[in-house]
Amino acid sequence: MQAERHAIHIVRRGKVVEISDFAPTETLLDYLRLRERAIGTKEGCAEGDCGACTVALGRPGEGEGTEYRPVNACIHLLGMADGAEVITVEDMARDGELHPIQQSMVEHHASQCGFCTPGFVMALFALYHREAPDGLDRTQVNDAIAGNLCRCTGYKPIVAAALDACADPVFDGFGTDETIMALKEADKGKTLFVGDENRFFAAPVSIDELAALYVLHPDATLVAGATDVGLWITKQMRPIDRVIHLGRIREMTAIEDNPDSLVIGAAATYADAWDALSKLDPDIAEVLRRLGSPQVRAVGTVGGNIANGSPIGDTPPLLIALGAETMLRHGGDIRVLALEDFYLDYGKQDRQPGEFVESFRVEKPGPNTAFRAYKISKRFDQDISAVLAAFALDIHQGIIRSAKIAFGGMAGIPKRARYAEKALKDISLNDPSGWQPAIDALARDFAPMDDHRASAAYRSQVAGGLLKKALTEIAGEDTMATRLTGTREAADVGLT
Amino acid sequence: MATRTFGEPVQRNIDDRLLTGQGHYIDDIDLPSVAHAAFLRSPFARAKITSIDVSAARAHPGVLGVFTCDNIGHIDQDLPLLIPHPCLVGPRTQRPLARGDVYYVGQTVAMVVAVDRYTAEDAVRLIEVDYDPLPVSVELEDAAADGANLVHEDVAGNVAAHFVQNSGDAAAAFARADHVTKITVRVERSTAAPMEGRAVCARWDRITEQLMVWDSTQAPISVRGGLASLFDIDEDRVRVVAPDVGGGFGQKVLFFYPEEVLVPMAAIQLDRPVKWIEDRTENFIGSTQERTQVHTIELAATKDGEVLGLRDFFLHDTGSFIPYGIAIAQVASTSIAGPYRIPNIEVEFKAIYTPTVPVTPYRGCGRPQACFAIERAMDKLAEELGLDRFEVRRRNFIAPDQFPWKREGLLFADGLAVCYDSGEYDTALSKAAEAIGLDRLDEMKADARARGKYLGLGLGFYVEGTGLGPYEGGHVRIHPITGKIYVNTGLSTQGQGHDTVFAQIAADQLGVDPSDVIVVEGDTGAFDWGVATFASRAAVVSGNAIHKAASKAREMVIEAAANMLEAAPGDIELAEGKARISGSDRAVTLAEVATATNPLRYAFNKAAQSATQFAPASKHDGPPLADGKAPGIEVTDYYSPPYSTWAYGCHAALVEVDPALCTVDIRQYVCVHDCGNMINPMIVEGQVIGGMAQGLGGALYEKVQYDQDGNPRNAGFMDFLMPYATEMPKVDIVHMETPSPLNPLGIKGVGEAGTIAVPATIISGIEDALKPLGAGHFHEAPVFPHMIFEKLGGADQAKAS
Ligand SMILES: Cc1cc2nc3c(=O)[nH]c(=O)nc-3n(C[C@H](O)[C@H](O)[C@H](O)COP(=O)(O)OP(=O)(O)OC[C@H]3O[C@@H](n4cnc5c(N)ncnc54)[C@H](O)[C@@H]3O)c2cc1C
Ligand code: FES
Repeated sequence: MQAERHAIHIVRRGKVVEISDFAPTETLLDYLRLRERAIGTKEGCAEGDCGACTVALGRPGEGEGTEYRPVNACIHLLGMADGAEVITVEDMARDGELHPIQQSMVEHHASQCGFCTPGFVMALFALYHREAPDGLDRTQVNDAIAGNLCRCTGYKPIVAAALDACADPVFDGFGTDETIMALKEADKGKTLFVGDENRFFAAPVSIDELAALYVLHPDATLVAGATDVGLWITKQMRPIDRVIHLGRIREMTAIEDNPDSLVIGAAATYADAWDALSKLDPDIAEVLRRLGSPQVRAVGTVGGNIANGSPIGDTPPLLIALGAETMLRHGGDIRVLALEDFYLDYGKQDRQPGEFVESFRVEKPGPNTAFRAYKISKRFDQDISAVLAAFALDIHQGIIRSAKIAFGGMAGIPKRARYAEKALKDISLNDPSGWQPAIDALARDFAPMDDHRASAAYRSQVAGGLLKKALTEIAGEDTMATRLTGTREAADVGLT
Repeated sequence: MATRTFGEPVQRNIDDRLLTGQGHYIDDIDLPSVAHAAFLRSPFARAKITSIDVSAARAHPGVLGVFTCDNIGHIDQDLPLLIPHPCLVGPRTQRPLARGDVYYVGQTVAMVVAVDRYTAEDAVRLIEVDYDPLPVSVELEDAAADGANLVHEDVAGNVAAHFVQNSGDAAAAFARADHVTKITVRVERSTAAPMEGRAVCARWDRITEQLMVWDSTQAPISVRGGLASLFDIDEDRVRVVAPDVGGGFGQKVLFFYPEEVLVPMAAIQLDRPVKWIEDRTENFIGSTQERTQVHTIELAATKDGEVLGLRDFFLHDTGSFIPYGIAIAQVASTSIAGPYRIPNIEVEFKAIYTPTVPVTPYRGCGRPQACFAIERAMDKLAEELGLDRFEVRRRNFIAPDQFPWKREGLLFADGLAVCYDSGEYDTALSKAAEAIGLDRLDEMKADARARGKYLGLGLGFYVEGTGLGPYEGGHVRIHPITGKIYVNTGLSTQGQGHDTVFAQIAADQLGVDPSDVIVVEGDTGAFDWGVATFASRAAVVSGNAIHKAASKAREMVIEAAANMLEAAPGDIELAEGKARISGSDRAVTLAEVATATNPLRYAFNKAAQSATQFAPASKHDGPPLADGKAPGIEVTDYYSPPYSTWAYGCHAALVEVDPALCTVDIRQYVCVHDCGNMINPMIVEGQVIGGMAQGLGGALYEKVQYDQDGNPRNAGFMDFLMPYATEMPKVDIVHMETPSPLNPLGIKGVGEAGTIAVPATIISGIEDALKPLGAGHFHEAPVFPHMIFEKLGGADQAKAS
């Protein structure tokens, strides 16, 4: 591979900073705290859950301006920040004036011990610079801080501070023309390779380069958003010597929105894919809204969620129910696989050494397809699902012609409910008495596990309940009272 | 008279600093050539150590020292039993590094100090330890059962303490009663999980022979005393500073944690600063926890619902050690009768060892368990007697004119008989009923039913003994150059806003703006008499000490200013940083007063020059400083409460349950609370809502789980679920202010108020909601969806769907 760059470039306080000496697993948080001594950013968990380490990354947005996203610096690899502006809590106050977010937090008594505070400031900074700066309600603020834990305030004052500060038009001196110029200077658009053959951080800029590099180093760790891999480093202390980052490959972050299908690059983040996926169905939007947090979605990818093979990933069941296919690439060869066939067994996928997920493709549901999906977890925000259910029913004149049902959390892999699907065939939506065999069939499809998230019996009950819920909703009127969308308060679904 | 700031929502003095990332926590302290410590911790709940081999770790490049129990000298001893009590039958405390045995997963076995944290952690993994695992009984009831596996071989039945207390004659009351209600309730293990874990940084200064320790602690003075005695260094050669502390909630009161001893020891031995920062996993396995108790409570009542007697027997899980003595169990047992008269009480508990993380107080300290027991029992009593839940409570409340209400024979954690000082319980209950919309309850229930949900009313009343003695001090001094007020006290802050409320108290006496009061706490170099921050005591005990000191300083200022202005003391008023003759513009600034009262040789600033234009501040003959006088305006005073002051409150909630998914949604939450006079309602609200969030965790989300081998199953934020913003319901706070007669400011503590009643409230709401489905009683906290599912499993499924 012809690496053309051996250093990353980030924008700090208006200046482009070049960093060439870093370990492939060095985190952005360590860089800030240990190297820059920018100690305002805190470590509360090193696993992406508390948000104390939140910083904002700015990159050129769709339009003219800069788009700011919050990220958890504790699990963000330094190399991934290449080409971005990095803003920390210390950068916010200008000329002795607090940033509007900070000022509002003072006024609302939104800080007590102060340890989580820098993270909240930065998460709210990203909200302040949100894409569509119209009215804001409490739910949106809650969503914006769904990745920030506070143990002192009970959140109320923080939410109030955010609502106040974000009511005014953006005026804080960030995201100016100078920022864009600096970002242009920092983004070299060339393949990056820092280190040597034994230990490196690489970020190719084309799929071909990636394919070649990965064939050469099939034992390298592919990193998209590092929201899984980051924890291998910080929690499991796995030694990782070779990292190939996918985030700089335009073709792999692209989203192709065709009239009847979507093709999503494996390195597209949840934030990138949000609009396209949400448009498929409001229930998908709702699952995405509750998947991780803004920090996780800013960098985490659907590709990573598919590729990690976890039985409790949220997107695979959705995509399986939608009949998604995944494109796998090895060197110059491409394989197309139904997503459900990608999962062989717990921890085992149909992927060869040197092979990677390039993209996946879903058909958009047609007018006769009714789709429903639900995420069940103990906690509403940022919680791993106990059960995730997705249903796609093909309906003709009130009769179910075919069904695709997939569950997460019910088996060692994301899995289809073939018996239940069969039992639903030719069943009338208008006659609930005919639904029971399908609900009962779930017991043949799945033998879920007991763990600390939920008992097996509870999982089974929930699975049945969700199937019934889906059927009830699809059979009935499609109203706010039946759909699980929007605000938490509106999640008042008539289940029965 | 200056505008009084007491009672005003004054903005906090430290916020600008915290909001801009200038807060300084231990990990932010940058010392040249600082070394880092990391610990090897036991992977077994109970095991014998047969060998430890540290040779590879020692040889690892960058390692400066590897320590086991064999090379830490005289520190290899049992750490102190902090609060001894005669009922402790087998008190055991832990050693800094395990010797021979390990007693819980997470116990410190070895320490590595290296040039950086990564090297230290790598070297930890090179230490080889052979363990012989022993069988364990992890669950509290199993550990208390006959034939249980023992945590400490020589402590029979795993009983650490056994204690019975009596007030009145319970046996007679039970004999007399028309009705007896009996329930068993269980509250699970939780943890404080402060956002900043524990942390220690130490430096030994060879030149001054001073040991400097920065510690993320709630008790710097105690740590200082402990270190001085352990290392045999004069106390004034040890300085302990708690800088900004990222939350504590009780977990950081304990001294000593092993790390707090070992890090300073390493700094002395290696002659190099050493730092240790706890990571999140360590916080779950190496920092103390609280809550597991199983109460069997009985109420003896008349048929009208008057409770004549109460019996409570409970098991208290103290984990593998009991460094805090019986504090938690004692608070639980003495709070058990809640706001009710109940004249005859018998409480008995056993503190039981389990091979888990040691237990010390966490915000609430036994009170949430006691509240859960009595409140769930009162609901059951109402149900059994066919009475209204509100009415049963009303019939038993201590009436306002019955205070002080003493429970002779029940000794509270301060060693004194429980004595409630003041309250308006009935009013609190009525306010809660009104705020939650009790009169519309049926309507709201019907509305929920129409949406396929079940709604219930949650109710919980709590009392809280706050402001425990023995004492705290306050030091007030007016700085001669700036005229600013310096205030010191011995305890420390973890974000409660002490610096602001203490500033308000001093500012009110001295007629300055609270922002001109500089509060320094948590530094033994600034003030070193006192105890610590816990048990909702800071505002009460330190606050009143500062008030007393500041009011003496006020008298001194008035006397000096009267002399300087040649006026009568009665004509002097203090406002805007000046002492002025009322109704005139003749005034001296506080800086001038402070200067004039300090006989100076050099007039090096403006205050000193201008002070000479006035008459002398002191009317006396002889030497410049009168006999028995000190220079300047400086006062130290102390406050020692006669006994604890009892805050209280009533929580109510509308709780909606989805019977198919078994999920819980809190539609509305009301906290009526009374902490006496409020110094700063904004800060009080912050305490209440923050506490409420922790209580919510204890009601629905947070449980430290161990498997049957004693391995923690959810030692991280991914699996130990604390509420995020979305989980917080709409909370309405209703303030009541019944002054405490016990202290000059009339205040009561509020630090734990928000937390105590939440599990009782929410879980009673779940029970009420699911009554139509015959789900039965919910006597465990927290309640998870699968538990609702199991309860509904017994109910008629057809009705549920
Ligand atoms: C705080 C937190 C909350 C979370 N909440 C949720 C949640 O609610 N629901 C949920 O489902 N998940 C959740 N996750 C898990 C995680 O965010 C998702 O799995 C995410 O989609 C992973 O994407 P990533 O880009 O970050 O993956 P990475 O960490 O970069 O990679 C994940 C794995 O996939 C491999 N990989 C990545 N891209 C490819 C590719 N193109 N081809 C082959 N292999 C590849 C990597 O080598 C690695 O093995 C959470 C994680 C955190 C830290
Ligand atoms: S430190 Fe907790 S999310 Fe990064």
